[in-house]
Amino acid sequence: MFGVLREFAQGFLGRGDATITVPSFDGALKPNQALERAETLFQCDAPEELASNGADVYFADGASLARIEGNGAITIREFERPITALACLPDGAIAVALNGREVRIYADPAAAKPRLTFEGANMRSVNALASADGDALYATDGSATRDVGEWASDLMERGHSGRALRLDLKTRNITVLAQGLHYAFGACAMDDATLISESWRHRLISVAPNGTSKAVLTNLPVYPSRLSPARGGGWWLTAFIARTQLVEFVLREPAYRKRMMAEIDPEYWIAPRLSSGKSFKEPMQGAHLKTMGVVKPWAPPRSYGLVIRLDAACKPMFSLHSRVDGTNHGIVSAIESGDWLYLIAKGPGRVLRLPTEGLAKEFGV
Amino acid sequence: MSDIILSLEKATKLYSGVPAIEDVDFELRRGEIHALVGENGAGKSTLTKVMAGVVTLTSGAMKIDGAEASPGTPLEARLLGIAMVFQENSLVPTMTVAQNLFLGQERFYNRLRGINIAAQQFLQSLNFDVPPTAIVGSLGAAKKQMVEIARAVLHNAKMIIFDEPTAALTPEERKYFFDLVRDLKKRGVSIVFISHALEEALILADRITVLRDGKKIVTDDASKFDRARIVQAMVGRDLSNTLYGVKKTTVRPAGERVLTIQNLKMAPMVKNNSLSIFAGQITGVFGLVGAGRTETFKIVAGIIKRDFFYGGDIILRDKPVRYRVPAPAVKAGVAYVTEDRKIEGFFETATIARNIYLGLLAKFPAGRALLSQRDQSAASADWVKRLNVRATGDAAKVIELSGGNQQKVVIAKSLVQEPDLIIFDEPTRGVDVGAIVEIHELINRLADAGKAVVVISSYLPEVLGLSDRILVSRQGKVVEEFSALEATEEKIMYAAIH
Repeated sequence: MFGVLREFAQGFLGRGDATITVPSFDGALKPNQALERAETLFQCDAPEELASNGADVYFADGASLARIEGNGAITIREFERPITALACLPDGAIAVALNGREVRIYADPAAAKPRLTFEGANMRSVNALASADGDALYATDGSATRDVGEWASDLMERGHSGRALRLDLKTRNITVLAQGLHYAFGACAMDDATLISESWRHRLISVAPNGTSKAVLTNLPVYPSRLSPARGGGWWLTAFIARTQLVEFVLREPAYRKRMMAEIDPEYWIAPRLSSGKSFKEPMQGAHLKTMGVVKPWAPPRSYGLVIRLDAACKPMFSLHSRVDGTNHGIVSAIESGDWLYLIAKGPGRVLRLPTEGLAKEFGV
Repeated sequence: MSDIILSLEKATKLYSGVPAIEDVDFELRRGEIHALVGENGAGKSTLTKVMAGVVTLTSGAMKIDGAEASPGTPLEARLLGIAMVFQENSLVPTMTVAQNLFLGQERFYNRLRGINIAAQQFLQSLNFDVPPTAIVGSLGAAKKQMVEIARAVLHNAKMIIFDEPTAALTPEERKYFFDLVRDLKKRGVSIVFISHALEEALILADRITVLRDGKKIVTDDASKFDRARIVQAMVGRDLSNTLYGVKKTTVRPAGERVLTIQNLKMAPMVKNNSLSIFAGQITGVFGLVGAGRTETFKIVAGIIKRDFFYGGDIILRDKPVRYRVPAPAVKAGVAYVTEDRKIEGFFETATIARNIYLGLLAKFPAGRALLSQRDQSAASADWVKRLNVRATGDAAKVIELSGGNQQKVVIAKSLVQEPDLIIFDEPTRGVDVGAIVEIHELINRLADAGKAVVVISSYLPEVLGLSDRILVSRQGKVVEEFSALEATEEKIMYAAIH
């Protein structure tokens, strides 16, 4: 009873859940155009994730697994279904998630048959893999109700069926580390615990082996996604889209969302996208975005590009941006290999590269 | 008749020995529009107040139409043909437009219909679309401005001074105001106007005078200025010669995020303001007067309230908070050191010890409602020593102290609460040079100790000298963020006024 009254009062006054506010990009998240300056290695149809064994960088492009060679890529093999996650293991093996429902471990990227396959356990939307230790793999299953490509639907339905899984490579057991997550999208080992991105709650949590979890980085102005270790300690955290007050408002209007999802092409929903500015039917137009015909970098973003460098305590150190007037949007994967930081901008379908030494100098770390 | 309607020679005005303007030479030509620009505290208002008879010169001379004049009151200035339109207008809100126009000129027998008709004819002659029977309180800012101008013209003003005339106007109203000023110029009226908006000075003025630190830097035709030249003249002091030292070469790294403000609103001063404050850093907040800086942080400290509906979020250490009074903010570790110490900072007739004790009491230490006399004395003696408050003893009354020592007491009163987030609002305003250095050292020590420190200041060298990170506020929200390494006075000023 009191809950209902409180909800009504909050809706009326614009407080609590109905505040509809987003944090600003400031401090370590201060906008820049570093991602726009990144070198584009090549363009592909459906880049999804990067993985590195220290020597080589592999990437998933649709159903293809390829290796980056110089400024190009060599296709290693094709799978029957799209790859949704990729990880290299310490022993040289490679793990791939196919269509979000199956995880296969190959002894090497070119091996004909998988060494191990994980299926079932209601896996539907496996979107990130990471090596836990020599004997296990972390996986995040974004949603139990939507496939990987339907993440926008999961957001609009305020999905909270995500899970973090531990796949034991010896016993072949699948352990659920955390469930009920608001779109789990990215995991990484952090000391004894597991660091997990919870996209729709804009935060990172750490889950201890006994299942207790705590928030380590909260109230981000973006939807965080995959994590990868950074040289010198800490992580690279990608954020595939930024939050806006408009989307936050829509997320508090169930009737509107229901009708929008039923009647409008998903491409034109009032929802974040990995790229934008392609059609006049998009919801954000005109003076939202342009002044005197020029796109405002500070306009409310429908799509955005961002990678955050976190220190060992998960505190943001600096960030790389592609702002509203840029094109390298929808960064879904970042991996450090050698002297380079490799990135996937899923919006324009690009594989990008930035020198890490230059970044350290530029941001004074 | 001379072309110069008003001139000031070596005009100096001292407040308690501190020059607000010093050796300023100024000339206003007949029928010209003359813009006065400069930072906060540059002496613009003092200069115009001298002209309008609000204050008198300490030394120097003022001539009107070539004759020596020194109006001692605004009435005397008005009789000399000088009228001033203040930023906060001086109309009586409960009276009609006509009554306001003829205020002070009433005859023994006034016929309301008569003054309404006279006002109507007069307003029409000026092309002002304002109904003479309207109550002034119900008019918008632009219409009130028109009434003020009409009153000035009615008093046969040869010269009208506007202090920030467009600050409260919408863009439409501003355009209309510009037309009015040009119309007055055609009538031969000379105009002096103060503006923070440089575009206005460039568009409207015939000549521009730039003041800095109470001194005239340059006067020239507006056509010879561009934005960059004005900004350079406004801020171009030699940093190496100032109190605040050379530019920073290193900054403290940001610690944990202590405070997040999201889309905060408090009409009309704070508009959708968002920012974060981090531990272990000094965050400088710069902005011109009216930029909403003080209001934003007073909301954080529970001194004033945000908008009732959709007022935004304040998140203190990952927890949304809404303080209706300052006490819970103090308990949560937020301290606000006020800019107006005489009104809000201390009890002037109470002793230093008593003031510090009251600060401590606000936090109810260890759940106690009162402290023993011994604890009070110990706490105050400790802080008097730590902050080097120069007084005859902690039994001295605060009113007897100098401005700098009073400010130290205000700071001690906040620091005794052991806050994690300390907001200093204009910490060195009205403080002597020695105390400024000590207060700055204290602020630096707090940041080194891992506290989150906010310094709101209108003085650019202070912001640059102290801050690790600088937020620039304009029209109610933060519009730009600089690291102290990349910031320059020009960059900050540019962000503050564009």
